[in-house]
Amino acid sequence: MNLSSVDFLIQEAFTGIKRNGLMAFASISTIALSLGILGTFVLVALGANHFMASQIGKFEIAVYMNEKIDLTQTQAAADKIGKMPNVASAVVLSKEEEWAQFKRTNPNIESAGLQHNPLPHSIDVRVTDASQTTSMANKIRLMDGVNTVRDGREELRRVMALARVVRGVSAAGVIVLLVTATFIISNAIKLTLYARRREIRIMKLVGATNWFVRVPLIVEGVVFGAIGAIAAWLLLKLGGVYVAQTVEKLPFMAQFSSDIPSSVLALGLIIVGIAIGAAGSFVSIRRFLRD
Amino acid sequence: MIHLTDVFVEYDNGVRALNGLNLSVDKGEFAFVVGSTGSGKSTFLRLLYREVAPSEGSVVVNGEDVANMKPADVPYLRRKLGIVFQDFKLLPQKNLWENLAFALRVIGASPRDIRRRIGDALALVGLTHRCDSFPHQMSGGEQQRAAIARALVNNPTLLIADEPTGNLDPDTSWEIMQLLDQINIRGATVLVATHDSQIVDRMKKRVIQLDSGYLIRDENKGTYQQIES
Repeated sequence: MNLSSVDFLIQEAFTGIKRNGLMAFASISTIALSLGILGTFVLVALGANHFMASQIGKFEIAVYMNEKIDLTQTQAAADKIGKMPNVASAVVLSKEEEWAQFKRTNPNIESAGLQHNPLPHSIDVRVTDASQTTSMANKIRLMDGVNTVRDGREELRRVMALARVVRGVSAAGVIVLLVTATFIISNAIKLTLYARRREIRIMKLVGATNWFVRVPLIVEGVVFGAIGAIAAWLLLKLGGVYVAQTVEKLPFMAQFSSDIPSSVLALGLIIVGIAIGAAGSFVSIRRFLRD
Repeated sequence: MIHLTDVFVEYDNGVRALNGLNLSVDKGEFAFVVGSTGSGKSTFLRLLYREVAPSEGSVVVNGEDVANMKPADVPYLRRKLGIVFQDFKLLPQKNLWENLAFALRVIGASPRDIRRRIGDALALVGLTHRCDSFPHQMSGGEQQRAAIARALVNNPTLLIADEPTGNLDPDTSWEIMQLLDQINIRGATVLVATHDSQIVDRMKKRVIQLDSGYLIRDENKGTYQQIES
């Protein structure tokens, strides 16, 4: 194949796109929507992953002291806890600070009858190994002056289980959508090919090799895939901005977003778009080359 | 040029299009293929450019075994043939010159070669002045001449025409036949499937008649209908 043939093949691909404008639009929007939905599922799955990872690091044990224990004694207990293995940090929270904080978030509390600070001093303990939380909590519970120890293990276990379900469902969705998207896109390309079957037939009759028929159509599929991927990326960006605004109002959900950079997302979508476009064209052309 | 030996063609739907056809066409011949619809004319022509493969028997075109040809070799067989259809099969969005150039570019001809060969072919069919016209701007006769020009750009040794005048009026049909005759005189073997009895009678060429996939008549300087003796 000489240079003028390569030039011809690329030229044919682009005149094909221009001439079959409506079909091109249909194919590209199909690809964009398929990839957009696919991308949403990928982002949700990644978000669930990210959320789980971030929660593990946040594992904490809340230690509430007896009412008679003062701040100095609490600090001593905190120092002791800090020296235990598997403890990342042990921070004292004084009852005055906590009460002030509590009143700020609940301004009506004093008028509701709660005049005196009912809170004890407490210690916020973070562990380095989440699996050790229960045994750590049990050890702290036996210390002098400690009233209650609460480890968030049970709540966390539920949250993690939910995140795991979300991740599993999304991952399954990604696989199903990948197959469906390939199928839908290959059908859309089949329609554009059907509109051009006359051209393909003439090419075959004058002795064009199968590859000479295929290449411009595959280039077309690749271009459709890439444009569709960029459109899908824009859709996801816009959707992402909207979701981010909504999520800001739900602090709990804040970690439930993936932190993959948008350039990586764009690149991933374009690669998938190109691969699906090329594969869709290749598979669809077979039918037209047979006769 | 063409040798068919005991050729059977059975389509997937069970229809038998050819039943043991034995036939030879020599280099430089001009032959009509006649017969009613469904007689196997088109199947016979389609065997020659390997649109159809025989179920049985051998088909040799230009010394090549077409029956057992690998699919990858079919394009190269077709580059040595010229094929013309009743519906012209021109690309509507391309003008005449582009239609011809397309046929040459898809087989990888160089731009210089393309200019020269298109010039020659258009001159032969008398359409040099129409090279900027689109198919819808041309008459039926001009479109068929354009299709013939496209078939000629590869200097084919065999020109196959399937009902080339089926859509044309008698005068234009006659012009097209004269053109095919000229191409034959210049050395190409020409095979024409037709229903046009006037033309067959007037041209006085070899007539091959098929009926239900059987060869029922093969006559030199024949007529459309068999003359009862």
